[in-house]
Amino acid sequence: MNMTDRNKSPIKLKGVGNSLWVTFDPTQPVDFLQEELTKLFKRMKHLVVNARIVLDPGEQEGCDDVVKKLRVFLKDTFDVGAVSKPPVKRAVKEERIRQRDIGSSWHNSASEVLMLTGRVRSGQKITTKKHVLILGDVNPGGEIVAGGDIVVMGSLCGTVSAGQPDNEDSIVLSLDFRPTQVQIGGFLAAGIPSSRGKTVEFASVEDNAIVVKDYLKANPFGRLPQPLVR
Amino acid sequence: MKGKIIVITSGKGGVGKTTATASIGSALALEGNRVLLVDMDIGLRNLDVVMGLENRIVFNIVDIVKGKCKIGQAAIKDRRIDNLFLVPASQSDNKDAITPEEMIRLCEELREEFDFILMDCPAGIEQGFENAVVAADEAVVICAPEVSSIRDADRIIGILFSKSITPKLVVNRIVPEMVERGDMLSHEDVVDVLSIDLIGLVEMDDQVVVSTNMGTPTVLQKNSKAGDAFRRIAMRLNGNEDLPIVVPQVPNRFWKKLGLKIGLGK
Repeated sequence: MNMTDRNKSPIKLKGVGNSLWVTFDPTQPVDFLQEELTKLFKRMKHLVVNARIVLDPGEQEGCDDVVKKLRVFLKDTFDVGAVSKPPVKRAVKEERIRQRDIGSSWHNSASEVLMLTGRVRSGQKITTKKHVLILGDVNPGGEIVAGGDIVVMGSLCGTVSAGQPDNEDSIVLSLDFRPTQVQIGGFLAAGIPSSRGKTVEFASVEDNAIVVKDYLKANPFGRLPQPLVR
Repeated sequence: MKGKIIVITSGKGGVGKTTATASIGSALALEGNRVLLVDMDIGLRNLDVVMGLENRIVFNIVDIVKGKCKIGQAAIKDRRIDNLFLVPASQSDNKDAITPEEMIRLCEELREEFDFILMDCPAGIEQGFENAVVAADEAVVICAPEVSSIRDADRIIGILFSKSITPKLVVNRIVPEMVERGDMLSHEDVVDVLSIDLIGLVEMDDQVVVSTNMGTPTVLQKNSKAGDAFRRIAMRLNGNEDLPIVVPQVPNRFWKKLGLKIGLGK
């Protein structure tokens, strides 16, 4: 055993995120590593209880046994929380593919949409922090307040407030767009003239004003490279 | 068999609730049912005047609820139509003179004695409305083809649904000429917004004004379009649900047009 190595501590400790990152030299004997760990962890006392520990053997491979032994040792001696190996670093190409997959992982995302069926009648008010999708109509006097977008698969004749309180990227879309009043973020529009033709229209904020456009002609999301969670 | 409580409501005032109550009630009684009309518009009673029974009032609904009299003492029997009775509202009390619990108790008693109990609901959605609908089995929403009336009817329908009552719609005061010109909403427009079952379309009729002033139910008037319409509505409420709905039409003006062509008349 090399004595010079013994003089230099084979353990380095760093706080990373919400865990303690322990870099160790796996060539050293396990009991020596345990000794060194004890020195360090004793000083931290209660801070290590339930702490997340990442055991990083550096660039050395095939040291799963050492990691396993140290994991058991740390859990038994210092009552730490989860002990894991550092996350695997991926090649740039692999990482890029992974990022693309994350982008299109909409099928895994929890619903951010409140989907309702039926008719929102006069005097009824729907309030949510999510997006709203209504399969039905919103009658005059009905009111919808949403944190995100408002989509009405029917006639929209009531009052709608999308992107509340301050999300100005929200849109209001309806198959039959005749709202009494539209609010998006802090912008308000009233008395929106109804278009003659029965086209699908949507309202959005452009140049600090609410603009109503033909949805199919404008196709606001058509240029996105891939489907994204909104 | 227990009687059915039907509330006649609209939300907005002046669309024809009281006229409809008097007319539908009279028509149901003419079909042989034992019918009670209850004026729930406490403080602003009208149904007694429309029925021509105002000078026979001794007790009112508040008196019954408070135990001052029995139902039989307060119910005024109509002399023209058998089996038709009216319980008038109090003119000197407020809408909160009766509580919903008291109404439920009263309605249980009324169900035992009558086949149909028609509640003439006051305008608005306050205490008077709550009292009128609290024990109702069915509801008839009267709506005029005007945006304001539709807005209020829509609100009422929402409240009725929340009370597990499925309302039926009567579109009142339709002027076919105006509908044809595009100056008035058609009944299709109204049904489109309110989207509930339609049980009748009533045309605007001058005879209604005459019969209201005379205190005669419209259904007793001969050649009254509104009277005929209310009679058909009563038949539908009485179980004849397949009776087709007659849409008010513009009368054939062939002879008038011909007269104008040849220079007769204006």
